[in-house]
Order: sequence, then structure tokens, then C-alpha cells
Amino acid sequence: MVEVGASAKARVLVVDDSSLVRLYYRSALEQAGFRVEQAINGIEAMERVLSQPFDLVIVDVNMPRMDGFTFLSTLRRGTGDVATLPALMISTESEMHDFAAATAAGANFYLVKPVAEADIVRHACVLTGAAS
Amino acid sequence: MGGTGTPPFFPITPEEVQRFCEFLYRRTGLSFAQGKRYFIDRRIEERIVATGSSSFQAYFSLLRADADHEIEHLINSFTVNETYFYREDHQLRCMTSSLLGGIANLKPPGSTIRIWSIPCSTGEEPYSIALWLMENWPQVDNYNIEIVGSDIDTRALKAAAEGIYGPRALMRLSRDIVTRYFKPVANGNHQIDDGLRGSIQFTRANLIDAQDMAQYRDFELVFCRNVLIYFDDASRRQAAENLYDCLRPGGYICLGHSESMSRISPLFSVCRFPDAIVYQRPESDHG
Repeated sequence: MVEVGASAKARVLVVDDSSLVRLYYRSALEQAGFRVEQAINGIEAMERVLSQPFDLVIVDVNMPRMDGFTFLSTLRRGTGDVATLPALMISTESEMHDFAAATAAGANFYLVKPVAEADIVRHACVLTGAAS
Repeated sequence: MGGTGTPPFFPITPEEVQRFCEFLYRRTGLSFAQGKRYFIDRRIEERIVATGSSSFQAYFSLLRADADHEIEHLINSFTVNETYFYREDHQLRCMTSSLLGGIANLKPPGSTIRIWSIPCSTGEEPYSIALWLMENWPQVDNYNIEIVGSDIDTRALKAAAEGIYGPRALMRLSRDIVTRYFKPVANGNHQIDDGLRGSIQFTRANLIDAQDMAQYRDFELVFCRNVLIYFDDASRRQAAENLYDCLRPGGYICLGHSESMSRISPLFSVCRFPDAIVYQRPESDHG
């Protein structure tokens, strides 16, 4: 397991409609020292990022009510710090056009599920600038 | 009513016990041999006292009328709810090393896999399934896993939803798992993580009630452990047929170590995996 430096305590928002998946990512990130909040779709995620500061959002693509692409592109069109919030997109979709769509929506990095605990922590460290 | 500290005594004749057992059997499928007479008498006495009935006859009338949901209270007093996390973990190992791989291969990533724990008692089994998956199945985030826990005992379901456990229930879990997924609460107990509590759907279901069971369909995997031993042959077969309908074709059912589906129903195929023997609903139905 990758350990984040004690001073890091970066704040991460995990957005996924599956409660077990949220728990899986949250558990790995908390174990590594991150502070983790959760949202179940793009709408809830938007409310979260507008009401409190985050250092990273980890977002699924296929979610009910508002999917990850719509959430990210809406976020990027906004103003202020939230518009540049680093975003790691994680999805079961693995075609080239899925990568392209993620980039177009404003994802900083794209991972295809399944993602091992160590990998999600490593990418979270890189995207938040946390020591690893 | 009896004096302090003295158990009340309500004379119950063998004929009355038989009438009572027949009633219990019709309503729940639970079947008790005469050898369990002491156990039955104690449960009946508890309920006579709890309902303020003056005699067995008065209590039985109240029970048949189902006054104040007495049937449910009675069922709650008859079911045995003591269990612990990671019980018979060879079946959990079988789930992640043998069963889920085959199930997942037939489904595109992102699709739903449904797992049912019935009876789920106070929640140890469905929570164990979720914990085991997160700890041992590398594909856990690649599928939308739905875990349902059902029981006939509403008191047990309430405890399952609360998710508070004593040291005995947690004895098979590593310290790391307890630290990661539980928080200490009063009296040396631990409460399971809110996210885990929210990830399991708890519902009431009666295994031998076909109408009840018709609400449950499309499960890839069912854990039905150590309950069929309480049923007689007819109820056991009824439960097996109900479970068969709840499974997807190709789905699996895990029974307790002393139970064998081969002796109950010919509907299922026997599958021997390195870690456990499980039973499968064939891909194509008979007839």
C-alpha cells in the first residue's frame, strides 16, 4: 500500500453510483491518508464541489441522472478554482473514443476498471501532488 | 403472574404442543421434533408472559388472530440468530476464486451482479460477502454488485441494519479489517462502516412462501446456509423450488456444510470446486 505523507491530507471526492465501489476506493484512499467524501452521481458531486474545497475528484462515467462526462464538462465551464479541480476519470469503458470523450470533457487522467487499490492511491498522489 | 425470579409455569398438554407445532409449520415451515419439547415450551412460555395471556389456550387464540403481529413476534423468538463474520469462509473463497469469474465472463463490465444472503440473520453474512469481495476480488469495482440480505425475523433485520457487533462476532476478522471497516462504539462493541451498511439492502422474506419469494429474482449467487436443516422434507423441497426460481439460469447456491441439495431436490446440478461444493441452476430449464 502506498502511504501518503502525514502532511498531505488531501481532500478527494469519489463519485460513483455503486456504494461498494465508493467504499472500495474510499477505504484505499483513507488508508493512505487522504480525506474522502462521496457522491452518487454528477448532480450530487456538483453540489459537493461548489460547497466545499477539494484537491481531486475521482469520477465514474456511467451514472444515473448526471453522468461523469456531463459533470466534468459542466465543471470545466464554471469559474473560479473548481473549474480547474484535478479530475481522475475511472470507467469500465475502454475504447479509444471513451478516452477521447474523457479528455474532451476535461479529465486529467483516465483509468479503465478494474483498478487496484495501490493504483488508485498512486494516481491520487500524482494528481494532488501528495508525497508518496 | 409468577413471583420474582421464578419462571412462570403454564401447563401445556402434548396435544396443545402438537396443535401449536402444526400452526407454526403451516405459517413458517419450521418443524420441531418432540425432542425439542423443552425449547418449544420455553418459547411459548416467553410469549404467554410477553402478551399477558392467562393460559396457553388464551395465547393460542391470540396467535391465530395474529393480534398485535403476534405471529411475527413468535417467529422472532423461534429463530436462532447467533453467527459471526467469515463463517465457513471456504465458501467465500469459492465465490471469489471459482464462481464470480465465470459469472463475470458472461457479462459486460459495469453490469449488475446480484448476491443474496437468506437467511441473513443479524447481517454478519451479507456484510462478510461485501468485505470479502473488497479484500479478495480484483474485479470488485468493475461490476455493480448488489447484495441483498433477507430474513423472516424482523428483529434480526433491525439489528443487521444497525450493524453493531460484539467481539465474538468479529473473532475471525483480522485487526486490519476491523480497523478499516468498523468503528468502536459503547460496551466494547463495534459498528460497521456507514458505507457498508448502506451497500446492503435488508428485506423480510419467508423461504417457503412462494408469493413472498416471487419478489426476488435474477440472483447470480445465493447463500442459504444452515436453515434448511430446520425444515421437514416437504418444506425443504418447497424452499429449494422457490430458491431455484430466484436464481438466474446458471446461478449458484451455497448451502451449509451439513446440508446437501441432492437429497432435497433434483432441480440443481452439483458443482465441485476446489474450495466448496455448490449447486447450480442449469443454464437451460428442464422441459
